[in-house]
Amino acid sequence: MGKWLQGIWKSVWRIGWPQDERSAVKAMLSSLVLHVHAPKIRPESLKFRASWAAGLISLVLALQLTATGIYLMFYYIPHPDAAWRTMKDLAFVVPLGTLTRNAHRWAAHAMVAMVTLHMVRVYLVSGYKGARQANWVAGVGLWFLTLALSFTGYLLPWDQLAYWAVTVGSNMAAAVPFVGDDFRQLILGDRSVGESALLRFYVLHCVALPAILFLVVGFHLFRVRKDGGLVVSENAPGGGRGEEGHKLVPAWPHLVYRELIVALAATAVLLALALWLQAPLEPEADPSRTPNPAKAPWYFLGVQELAHYSAFWGGVFVPAATVLGLCLLPYMDTHALGVGQYLPKERRIAQALFGLLLLFMAVTTVIGTLFRGPGWALMWWPQ
Amino acid sequence: MSSNSALQSDRLHWAFALTALACALLFGYAVVVDAGRPAQVQQRLVPALGAVDRCELCHENPKHHAGLDDAHPPERFGCTVCHGGQGFATRKEAAHLVSMDWERPLFSPAEQAAACGRCHLGAQAPVPQVAKGRQLLADKGCAGCHAIPGVPRPDFAPELDGLRDAVSPGFVRAWLADPGKLQASHRMPTFRLNSEEIEALVAYLWSVPGPALAPLPADLTGDGERGKKAVATRRCATCHKIDGRGGDVGPDLALAGMKLQPAWIFTLLVDTHRLRPHTRMPGFRLAPQEALDIATYAGEEWLADSGEPPWKAYEAPVEPTKAVQGKKLFADLGCAGCHRVAGQLGAQIAPALDRLGDRHVVDLPHTATGEALPDLPSWVARKVQLPTAFDQKGGAPARMPTLPGLTAADALAVGTALASLRAVPLPATLLRDHDPPELRLPAGQTGRLIDRFRCLVCHSIGGHGGDVARIALDGAGARLNRAWLEDFLQSPVTVRMDQAERMPILGMTAAEAQQLAAWLQGALGDDRVPLAEPATASAEAMSHGANLYAQLGCPTCHMAAGAGTMKGPTLDGSARRLQPGYVQTLLSQPALVPANRHAGIQLSAEQAAAVAAYVLGLPAPQAP
Repeated sequence: MGKWLQGIWKSVWRIGWPQDERSAVKAMLSSLVLHVHAPKIRPESLKFRASWAAGLISLVLALQLTATGIYLMFYYIPHPDAAWRTMKDLAFVVPLGTLTRNAHRWAAHAMVAMVTLHMVRVYLVSGYKGARQANWVAGVGLWFLTLALSFTGYLLPWDQLAYWAVTVGSNMAAAVPFVGDDFRQLILGDRSVGESALLRFYVLHCVALPAILFLVVGFHLFRVRKDGGLVVSENAPGGGRGEEGHKLVPAWPHLVYRELIVALAATAVLLALALWLQAPLEPEADPSRTPNPAKAPWYFLGVQELAHYSAFWGGVFVPAATVLGLCLLPYMDTHALGVGQYLPKERRIAQALFGLLLLFMAVTTVIGTLFRGPGWALMWWPQ
Repeated sequence: MSSNSALQSDRLHWAFALTALACALLFGYAVVVDAGRPAQVQQRLVPALGAVDRCELCHENPKHHAGLDDAHPPERFGCTVCHGGQGFATRKEAAHLVSMDWERPLFSPAEQAAACGRCHLGAQAPVPQVAKGRQLLADKGCAGCHAIPGVPRPDFAPELDGLRDAVSPGFVRAWLADPGKLQASHRMPTFRLNSEEIEALVAYLWSVPGPALAPLPADLTGDGERGKKAVATRRCATCHKIDGRGGDVGPDLALAGMKLQPAWIFTLLVDTHRLRPHTRMPGFRLAPQEALDIATYAGEEWLADSGEPPWKAYEAPVEPTKAVQGKKLFADLGCAGCHRVAGQLGAQIAPALDRLGDRHVVDLPHTATGEALPDLPSWVARKVQLPTAFDQKGGAPARMPTLPGLTAADALAVGTALASLRAVPLPATLLRDHDPPELRLPAGQTGRLIDRFRCLVCHSIGGHGGDVARIALDGAGARLNRAWLEDFLQSPVTVRMDQAERMPILGMTAAEAQQLAAWLQGALGDDRVPLAEPATASAEAMSHGANLYAQLGCPTCHMAAGAGTMKGPTLDGSARRLQPGYVQTLLSQPALVPANRHAGIQLSAEQAAAVAAYVLGLPAPQAP
């Protein structure tokens, strides 16, 4: 009997629990999931400073969002008559409904933050150079997909917050020259947020965007693996190729174990947030009752703040130029100096410019979020 | 493995153990917290009202007070449409209180009454607060400025064409400054105007021409003594207060002689509806001499005791240059919402109130003193009582005028009635319109007569019209004989001595009286009353009837054959007035009697026939 069970175990986990370095390498290579990592990695990659675990946590959050999202889909009805009521059912009737909704909400916000943080780190260590050019662009795409997922999900509770945030967001899209109105009509399916918009956002949020996201994530991880894992400074131990290569350590268990711990820690933090911090819910969406001010989701408030000055220059040009600039970056900044270091001498100007861009985004977002009151008037006290 | 022990320290094992334990504990705690959720949900689903009411989780077998239960079963209405609160909630505080996502906590009594008013429409809705509020909305002329569903535009404000021919500028200035000082029971609200604004309005009003006044006949002289008699015999006091006594349908005439130009009074009396097409005053048929006598009498008697008009301090020449400014002010203030100029009412300048009930009191401003009102009806009540209550520092002052004679209870009733106006209508099957069905008056000659004599100012038909006459005209055709009606319309005798309001002597011609009598009899019948031939009763039946008449105590109210009191109509000669079928029926069906003054008297058919025979056999009194 024991032998029979062992046979089943062996049929799935063909290598068995690795006992030595050789079987550890074999385990990494033979598993679909684990071979996303190289069998041996540079010990430098294991340090926190090498990754901030930002990419990993982004992926963990994506998986948590998938799990909680599927549970929410069991109850959710994407129609204006019913959507907000399902929030009420989640709050009062569905087993663990409040916890699930809270977790989904906070994981979504956290994912926007973590993906951004991941991108900042990769920029700082010049992780877009050489063979990694296209993968950086894929990363920018993932950042954009994350924002799109968050934005489409923002509408689904169909409360005042959702309705007016999406109204503001889609109005910013309408400022695109020539095709803006058509573009807004395409995403809303109507001239204003309503039944069609809710259905479109639902399908995008639950089917189309996650499918694209995970395809691109697959490409992204595959390329990271093919390009030699994390970017590490040439000067770091094991950072160079060739003669230093013997200092590599097996990914099993050193990397995999750490990743498991990070995933568990992220889950614990998310559970704690979901238990003690309620996801916001406002009264049911009412197109005849405009809140003042009506604000987009927080990660768009920097853009909304800019759009307040000029709908085209602030709301369209600057964001579009930023995204385009990020995509072109690896093809314009091609020298190989200072790769793998956070603050290399050779990149002072580049880092300073990027720092300014981040500061600009942060300041506009903070102003838009905290210091804008009724009529988008500047408030000296956080609202 | 051992070669890499440095990389896989105990710290990692600890971290793994701690994070795994934290996940397990937190999830376990979440499950424990979730166990507090009710295992089974008890709910009432009323899809037509969008209600998902879980109130019965705690409130077992809810019972209403007597009478409401049958008409409002929870299966049909749920709970929250009448009581407010959050039906979805399964916890008490979430169900009862206001929260970030729920703005309608359990209703206050006023809000509950307003909720009744969502289904029970009309000014006669069986919800006292709401019905009173709706009546006040009509009486106070709120619809002059606000569009309010179910409330008609006011029609009681005088037309302002040719105001300069009627009164002095000083009177208008004093009136605009404070109408209450000139007439205690005024209906016009106070607009808090400064003297410059008043001057501009007067200048504008003085620029508006009116119908030409009829010239005072040069060959006639007015006689005040005759005028005084005419005022009494024509029964002007039925509508006007004269020396402090009389009705309040028309204006108090106390200072009319001082206020109004004699030529204007004369024109009003002889050509009422050319001068004032929308007045409630009937078109009397007065000879020029009689009109001149009344105008003379007014000029002699209806004056201030001091001999000086109370608006004397306001007399000054009009400054015509300010007319343009005044016209703009007239429009801005919404004066034309109530007062016709050139036959037209102006636009309703204030916000429409058709969805006021959708507002949440939390969204509405606090008072200038920082007080927050507890619910929407009280907020509206405060606004109605003190329009400036919510003026904010540095903001524009409220434009709404101050309404006269509104008690706190009145204001709350108005707030309650307005809070019942919601944008989302309830299903038509639940609505009950308590307003009487639309009244269709005849066109042609009859219609013109009804209009000329303003019958419906005092009389009501089918719930429409005034209640000065107290007894509705409905069924009058089944009660009264046509010949009597013709006589009465030409020279109205007093039937009910206990009633102060008496039908004015309108001066109808015989042809007019015939036309109206024919209509009254033909159109205002009563299905319950049979058409009976005049009874020819035996002497035996007559004496049986006479006995019953005495036994039943009829003389307690009625005068007949020289005995009895004048509480009810005198019955001598009533065969001429009353139809036999009606008399028989009312004695056996007391509910038939107008104003139901026969309540408690119910005879058998045989007794009724006997008493009717006796009463209708009473001879008419001998003319002296």
